[in-house]
Amino acid sequence: MKVDLELVLAHDGTEWIARNGSVVARGRTLSELDRELERILAASGKYRRGTRVLVLMGFDNSTIPTWIRQYAAHYFNRYVSIEV
Amino acid sequence: MDNVNRKWYSGMLTTEDWWAVWIGLFMFLLGLLSLTGVDLVGWMAKTHTWVLGHPEKGFATSLSAAGKAYADMSPLASFLVTYAVFTALTCIGAYFMKLNVKKFFIGFTIIFLITWACWVIGHEAHFKATPNDWDKYGITWGLSLGGGFSYILALAVGLFIGNFMKKFAGFLSEAAKPEWFIKTAIVYLGVKVGLMSMEAASYTFELAAAGMAATFVAYMLFWPIIYTLGRRVFKLPRQWAAVLSSGISVCGVSAAVATGGAIRAKPIIPVMVAMLVVVFAMIELIILPGLYTAFLIEEPIVAGAAMGMTVKTDGADAAAGAIMDEMMRAKAAQSGIFWQEGWILTSAIMTKIWIDMFIGIWAFVLALIWVYKVERQPGQLHVGPSEIWFRFPKFVLGYFITWFVYVVIAMFWPDLVEAAIVGANTVQSPMRKMMFMLTFVSIGIITDFSKLRGMGRLALLYAIALVFIIAPIALIVAWIFHHGMLPLPA
Repeated sequence: MKVDLELVLAHDGTEWIARNGSVVARGRTLSELDRELERILAASGKYRRGTRVLVLMGFDNSTIPTWIRQYAAHYFNRYVSIEV
Repeated sequence: MDNVNRKWYSGMLTTEDWWAVWIGLFMFLLGLLSLTGVDLVGWMAKTHTWVLGHPEKGFATSLSAAGKAYADMSPLASFLVTYAVFTALTCIGAYFMKLNVKKFFIGFTIIFLITWACWVIGHEAHFKATPNDWDKYGITWGLSLGGGFSYILALAVGLFIGNFMKKFAGFLSEAAKPEWFIKTAIVYLGVKVGLMSMEAASYTFELAAAGMAATFVAYMLFWPIIYTLGRRVFKLPRQWAAVLSSGISVCGVSAAVATGGAIRAKPIIPVMVAMLVVVFAMIELIILPGLYTAFLIEEPIVAGAAMGMTVKTDGADAAAGAIMDEMMRAKAAQSGIFWQEGWILTSAIMTKIWIDMFIGIWAFVLALIWVYKVERQPGQLHVGPSEIWFRFPKFVLGYFITWFVYVVIAMFWPDLVEAAIVGANTVQSPMRKMMFMLTFVSIGIITDFSKLRGMGRLALLYAIALVFIIAPIALIVAWIFHHGMLPLPA
């Protein structure tokens, strides 16, 4: 599926963090994270108001503890459509 | 996005699952070349029963090269070649998996030596030989522990290191990869099942079909019961109940992680559940083979299938199945009944393989329910079916490939079977058993029982669910679908 924005997702024990080279969004829940991302995208000026941005948040599997990776090497990816 | 699974080929060079396929298929293909008349795997070292102090069957006879074409190879040369080949292969895998290769190399060497020491010691006749073989080895007493003693010894040594030499265990943990080793062993087991299919095709497929049916029934019963118990009795939050239910009732760590991902839980939840799963799987591995051998000797395939539905990691299940296969055959032999090696093990693994394959579908269904019915957050576009592929156990592909290739040879080119068996026998026997032995040592090293401390409510729920729900239902379901099935006579 073709996406407008790709972010790497991780959890630091307290909050979800979605980032790429230019965007860093945080939230205690995924809903919070999505709202924060919406705010960041609106503030960036890159997208016109009302544009739907399709975002892929791929979980950073290197944050899965090494001893678990031999059992399961994939957590989840999520596709979110954010209206700017 | 290097560590994100994005493409269908993501992880092909960086995950243990895929490296089980590569190492498994590499040796399988080398073995298959015996069709051309060349034995490229016969250098593999193989253990033999030996007798301490015996002039002709002493320690020097405990090892030899597996292939007839390598009859002139010294045992030491065979052992060193075996070490060199498997160390090279696993170190290449470790490099691509971004492990600390130097630490892996040293750790693997130590684990390899421990493994072979246990394997050779376990084959001493006073430990291994059953009474009907005592004359053959010139002994007048023995513990009659059968081939399973090597496995138990390896497990005991691993557990000792894991629980009483924790610093050493920490060092070895880079190379102690029981799931990797057992998945490679299962790819080799596919060769054995292929050979078994040559002899008894309809029985093998019957075993597979029964395993699939039993798995499906078990899933439908286990998960809702455990989830309800977790929510209503233990008052666990939804996410904890869901992840724990999958871990206890489906397939351990991989199911717990898959479920955690499906319901978008904080990663700490599946990590905590995974710790519980690994420790309890070890407890099951220690208790169940002996228990089932004592009470289910009349229904060995039922016991194997029940094991597959009860023991919650691939490594522990295969290990428990291997021990039980040896124990049950040794016990039956005492009554003059001789079963072929591998059928009981195969019934345990077959059920587990179906469970592994269903995990991805289960997690996908759960994700759909969670995203669209439970949480219903605006903007969530869809749950990609690619999630099923990312969670699919890739080693199963290797298992089915190796199985079906030998079935196809037997069906369409029966004249080639004899030549095919030359390589196949080395891959499916000493190579597979060595990977099992490495699994036993490794699984012991990584299992620290003290991790249960502080788990309180979760550990209690796990124990209650396992003893009073999972194990009994697994036995009933296994009996419904497998009763009356027996291993083929030797």
